[in-house]
Amino acid sequence: MITTQGLEKSYKDVKALRGLSFEAKDGEITGLLGPNGAGKTTCLRSIYGLIHADQGTAMVDQIDASQKPLEVRRRIGIFPDKFGLQERLTAREHIAYFAALHGLHGKTGAEAVQKVIDDLGMQDIADRKTAGFSQGQRMKVALGQAIVHQPQNLILDEPSRGLDVMSTRILRELLYSLREQGRCILFSSHVMQEVAALCDRVVIMVAGQVVAEGTPQELCERTGQSSFEEAFVQLIGTEEGIML
Amino acid sequence: MKSLFFTIWRKEMLDAIRDRRSLMAAMSYAFFGPVLMAVAFMAIINDAVSESDVYVNIEGAEYAPAFVDFLGSRRIFAGTEENKARDIDVIIPQDYQDKLARAEMINIVVRADYSVRSESSQRNRVETAIREYSSTIAAQRLTLRGISAEVIRPLVVDKQDTATKESRAALILGTVMVFVLMAIFFSGMNVAIDTSAGERERNSLEFLLAQPIPTHWLVMAKAGAAATFAFVGAVLSILMIPLVFVFVPLEKLGIEFSLSAVSQAQMIVTLIPLALLASILQLFVSFRAKSFKEAQTYISLVMFIPVAVIFGIEFSRVEHPLLSVLPVTSQHQMLLNTIGGQAINWLHVGVGGLVTLALTAILVWVVTRMLKSEKVIFGL
Repeated sequence: MITTQGLEKSYKDVKALRGLSFEAKDGEITGLLGPNGAGKTTCLRSIYGLIHADQGTAMVDQIDASQKPLEVRRRIGIFPDKFGLQERLTAREHIAYFAALHGLHGKTGAEAVQKVIDDLGMQDIADRKTAGFSQGQRMKVALGQAIVHQPQNLILDEPSRGLDVMSTRILRELLYSLREQGRCILFSSHVMQEVAALCDRVVIMVAGQVVAEGTPQELCERTGQSSFEEAFVQLIGTEEGIML
Repeated sequence: MKSLFFTIWRKEMLDAIRDRRSLMAAMSYAFFGPVLMAVAFMAIINDAVSESDVYVNIEGAEYAPAFVDFLGSRRIFAGTEENKARDIDVIIPQDYQDKLARAEMINIVVRADYSVRSESSQRNRVETAIREYSSTIAAQRLTLRGISAEVIRPLVVDKQDTATKESRAALILGTVMVFVLMAIFFSGMNVAIDTSAGERERNSLEFLLAQPIPTHWLVMAKAGAAATFAFVGAVLSILMIPLVFVFVPLEKLGIEFSLSAVSQAQMIVTLIPLALLASILQLFVSFRAKSFKEAQTYISLVMFIPVAVIFGIEFSRVEHPLLSVLPVTSQHQMLLNTIGGQAINWLHVGVGGLVTLALTAILVWVVTRMLKSEKVIFGL
């Protein structure tokens, strides 16, 4: 479970987060939806403790990220905003490296890695070096390194950018199966169709604040719009999707 | 925690070893440094030692056959078709015999371009030979007049060389030690950049820092990987020295050179702290850079400092008590003493090592703090 309470963060002259509060429950896929520059990435980074909020708290399974960042990081899997691969390692070595960083060594580690490779259907690329991988293949490796330690919470920052249909399907299947296992999934996106199709609950944020929260269905009803897209536009209050 | 260190270290090593190009670049430095020096020494020795024949233009040889014979005994000959004369003219005046008979002063002209450095030893040999012949004649004239030749040599220099063979070797081989120290600073450089600025450029730094790793272990493991390379570079160049110097005829210079396995091992151990310091210093610099290129620029500027210090000390031979316990200089002194066959002050070496390690620890702390700052992580 991931909760944030009144998160505030400002960079020099920009206020990225202005009292952001929301909750992502176990066994649900929660979408963090907002236009570009809404503060989604800043929010996720403060959950895993790379950014220190000026005010407020971010908690993972009731543990404060700013107090015990290592404890929090053991409980989450991350698909970051920017993911680069170690191009001289094979996909398998790559995933095994991060498994080892989570304390999965030797046989346990190898088994965990093999399971992820099977789950993501990457047997064909597992022993190739990651240099020259396609966007979809790179995404699989990045997902693999995020979930190899079977974290209770999964945080994905715009996971579907640049993916083709097949890769998007794999991603969707993976998220559904993780939800079945009762895990907490939080992902950010600025593509509303994706969020509407995938998420159980949506948190719409604009300019560092939550403007609406609920199931896609509820949001449509609340705004009186028939499509989720119209509901989204009405909620963020501008057609361009950019607002300060 | 230890297993975290080894996990990261092993991964960085694997990564670096697979990067063939930078691996070659790193190791070639350690390899070619001593080889280059050996080749240079061979050239110097051949030039300095071999009393090769000197061919010059001798004008008016017919006026002074005895003088020309004397020059010949000093291996200075007139140029011929096969052996072209150098641009050195020795001109004997027409009235040589007359003046000699009347005991007047004879001008022997040595005409050459004195700014040509490559011929300076030949010019010197010609002049020395002429002076020698001149004093021979002077001595004979005095003897004819019943005066001992010793009258005109009131002071004689009695040269007693106290240089041992080892100390003479140190003078020359000290320059080789500069290469050993530089190998430390250059062999690990690419790895240090790749593991820091490279990691940022690949966009993999954020994910790595979001793993449950205490930051200081991450820093130490990365520095450890770079230091391993630096260390291997130094070991390689130390092992190379006796191998390549087998081919250099050092005995012609009266230099006896031997480097026992024990001395080599002592040198290698002494260099461990320096390898650590060099690597953490490189990490410190390149974590501040946003890209690989930028890091290379910064590092080459920073690496200029130890290199300048080493060269400065090597050529100026400054001495100061502090130098024997400071990083870089203390290790340099130890290497010099070893190769010069002098006693090694292990207290100095030990203190120097500790100072180096302390500085390394401080830098680890600084880099750890840097990696906790949002500015550095996201390159803001």
